[in-house]
Amino acid sequence: MVVDPQERRRQLVVRTWQLAALGVLLFCAVIVGYWYMQVVRGAYYRELAENNRLREEPIQGPRGLILDRHSRPLVENVPSYHLMLDRSRSAELAESVHFMAKRLDITTKEVEARLESYSAVASFRPILVAEDLSLDQVAGFEAMNLEHPEFEIEVLQRRFYRHGTQLAHVMGYLGEASVDDLARRAGLRPGDLVGARGIERAYDPLLRGVDGARVVVVDHRGKLVEEHGRVAAQPGNDLQLTLDLDLQQEAERFFEGQVGSAIALDPRTGEILAMVSSPSYNPNAFARRLDSREWQAIVDDEHHPLQNRSVQNSYPPGSVYKIVTAIAALEENVVTPDDTYYCSGSTRIHGGRRRCWKRGGHGTVNLRQALQHSCDVFFYHLGPRLEIERIADWSRRLGLGVETGIDLHGEKPGLVPDKEWALRARGTMWYPGETVSVAIGQGPLLVTPLQAAVMVATVANGGDVVTPHLVKDYARPPRRRVQLSPETLAVVRGALQDVVDSGTGRSAAVAGMTVAGKTGTAQVVSQATQIDSADLPYEIRDHAWFASFAPVENAELVVVVFVEHGGHGSSAAAPLAKILYERHFRFLPDDSDT
Amino acid sequence: MRDTSGSFPTIAIPEDGRFTGGRLKRIERVAWSLPVCALALAVAGLTVIQSASVEMATDFVSRQIVWVGLGVVVMIIGFSVSHTTLLRFAFPLYLAGLAMLGSLLFFGHEAGGARSWFGIAGLGGQPADFMKVASVLMLVRYLCSAENRRLHEREVLIAAAIVGIPAALIALQPDLGSAVMLFPALASLVWLSGLRTKTLAAAFVLVVITGAAAWTFGLKDYQRDRILTFVQPETDPLGRGYQLRQSKIAVGSGELVGKGFMQGTQSQLRFLPVRHTDFVFAVLAEERGFVGVLATLALFLYYLWSCVRVATRGRDGQAILLVIGLASIMGFHIFYNTGMMIGLVPITGIPLPFLSYGGSFTLFCFFSTGVITGVDYRRWVNR
Repeated sequence: MVVDPQERRRQLVVRTWQLAALGVLLFCAVIVGYWYMQVVRGAYYRELAENNRLREEPIQGPRGLILDRHSRPLVENVPSYHLMLDRSRSAELAESVHFMAKRLDITTKEVEARLESYSAVASFRPILVAEDLSLDQVAGFEAMNLEHPEFEIEVLQRRFYRHGTQLAHVMGYLGEASVDDLARRAGLRPGDLVGARGIERAYDPLLRGVDGARVVVVDHRGKLVEEHGRVAAQPGNDLQLTLDLDLQQEAERFFEGQVGSAIALDPRTGEILAMVSSPSYNPNAFARRLDSREWQAIVDDEHHPLQNRSVQNSYPPGSVYKIVTAIAALEENVVTPDDTYYCSGSTRIHGGRRRCWKRGGHGTVNLRQALQHSCDVFFYHLGPRLEIERIADWSRRLGLGVETGIDLHGEKPGLVPDKEWALRARGTMWYPGETVSVAIGQGPLLVTPLQAAVMVATVANGGDVVTPHLVKDYARPPRRRVQLSPETLAVVRGALQDVVDSGTGRSAAVAGMTVAGKTGTAQVVSQATQIDSADLPYEIRDHAWFASFAPVENAELVVVVFVEHGGHGSSAAAPLAKILYERHFRFLPDDSDT
Repeated sequence: MRDTSGSFPTIAIPEDGRFTGGRLKRIERVAWSLPVCALALAVAGLTVIQSASVEMATDFVSRQIVWVGLGVVVMIIGFSVSHTTLLRFAFPLYLAGLAMLGSLLFFGHEAGGARSWFGIAGLGGQPADFMKVASVLMLVRYLCSAENRRLHEREVLIAAAIVGIPAALIALQPDLGSAVMLFPALASLVWLSGLRTKTLAAAFVLVVITGAAAWTFGLKDYQRDRILTFVQPETDPLGRGYQLRQSKIAVGSGELVGKGFMQGTQSQLRFLPVRHTDFVFAVLAEERGFVGVLATLALFLYYLWSCVRVATRGRDGQAILLVIGLASIMGFHIFYNTGMMIGLVPITGIPLPFLSYGGSFTLFCFFSTGVITGVDYRRWVNR
């Protein structure tokens, strides 16, 4: 039965009005409902809201502990008491301020200033008015709870770094989540603490616990009556580091009053057993709010204690770099182990006169002897024969000029110069004379102490470029392998062993075991004349390097020591290597207080 | 605007406007009440979202401003495209919607146990909202081809299938609330098209049976809990009843004039769940009181009233059905969302048009507003 359009339209309009009537009815029901709830029963609900006895309280999920390789805790969680003020419960705010100032032994002005900063916050929301109360202070507030119900003590867990300034750069500390953190990571709330540096930062997602919550019934003073249901907090994961606290503390002791860095790592795996950067800071100071004076003191320190010199600073490598030049020359067949040069104390290359550090000269030397005695003249000659591109290539293969991939933030890549770099960064061409400087580790070259350690580890283990890391049990990206011929390794290792047995590295020699190493003395300013570093002012004194491994065959430990403005590597840096080898291999009696 | 609901506009009016120029200018032909209401509600929504989300890590206000901006764009698009063109593409749009829902079951984001989101450039979108438009278009197209005075049972069944298939896919996500929200369109459009008493009775029996079957086999535990809580809220004041109890306290304690902007203890102390989306109206009720509720509902009522006026002066069956189909979905959202705060209906994740934070649903509401306004604008033009 087909109807005519006029009639059909009329029907539709009628039924539309029917639906509209239904809609009006539903709307009326809603309006009546709101009128009943808000106007008729409003006072009842207002009271319920005021005494809303159901409260959701967060339960802090404890952060994971950090342990050394022998499971000794390096950080723990300790309770810390915060004073909260609910201004809406205060009978007379001035009276509360007065009471609090008296209890905390501060002036009412300070308290008022604190309250002022919260003036935009609704009065019924408890605000944080004092941190880190002593137990006496806590007892004082709890005892006066009936008279001053507006104050509440909140117990939170705070990080306590057991070894203070020792390990500070590895451990890092916590800070309030930044706007960037909040945007990047789900589940973070403003005011949450997250790792700001070091392991605390790199492994923050693993370490942090998941907060739980409990729903509690509270009385009108906000005191707990009973608990109804809770979501348990989950503790964070404990992390076991590869660090050996004993080695670390030995190294820390050595650096007292000195500036620099030391690294001990296992060349077979890349596990870092000790990593020191000096001067240091006390991360426990960051566990509470730093006042601006304390912060300024840290920032203004001319030695920048916050910087982790092992990975965040790069330095000229000096003679340590001759290891790289020697490997490149042998592998590229630029020189054979038997080729010799005559060192008279200086030589002419590219029209300029180049001095050897030994003014009397080394005489006729082959590569092994040149490396042992750190003969500059021999390596000057290798420079032009290798050319900068091949030197740069081998540097990168051995782990220089690129990040090592350590599990810490802010690692510097160092600098391995080549022709392309010269054009891009400097806008000038690469001068052949610079290749001569680079061959002995001077020129624009920069390496971090950790890169030096990786390079030495590659020589020690026969070609594995390890990924240095601080945490056990977390998979490392696959190691790169660089092909080194047995002859190359034999010559370089032999030369490095000679350095310790009878050369500049004698102070690193350990009785009863073989140690291989290379000292380095990196010039800070070019010196026209040879002056003993000890006689120079501190800022222009040379940097001291010592890069080593032991035992020579089947090496188990690499030690790199770098002392900023320390003078000679032999006297300033090598002694620490000896201390660490003895500690590691001899198991000296443990006299540290762990 | 002149009331023309009584008379069918059989007079051809030339589009160049010369003939009508004396009576109505072009700009006066637009039913401004619809876009103006929509924008007023959206602005009100922004203030409530600001208060509701002040403690949250994400800046929902800025995001919602972006969504409202996009909403205005799609509203203009909806206005510009003639509904006859839209209906011509009903089938492909419907198929595209089904394909999206289907693929969602495999590729969607998991959020709160349901796969109902596509992530698009950091902002989320629910294909279920797109499906609301597509299903209505498809229904209108199908029902308009039936010229009978009243629908046959077979036609009712096919209409039910048109809505039922996407609803089932949405329910599988599982997002039962959004799935149910398609049915007001079915009910109102079938009602408009005419039902025989016998069919009505049969439909009633069928709904009861499927409801019982769904209760037994189809619902997840939490869904059953919610309905039970609705029936007996006091049985579980700390678990499932928590949301309802807290939203009731929020609404009730707002009293006549409310606690003031940003002063709602329920909202600010985080008693209210998802307070920037589904519970935004509870925040409004707490902070603005019954006066604010009444003002907002009045705006909604005026909006829906305008939709009804547009329908009743519609040019033909298609226009009327399309307007009522879209308006009924929005109207039911309004009723359901405001009703669930005070316990009229079980709590489920249903947003409030224009006010709630939310991407694709905001776009749906603005697009529908554009389409309805466009239908009205074109009634003057004979093509």
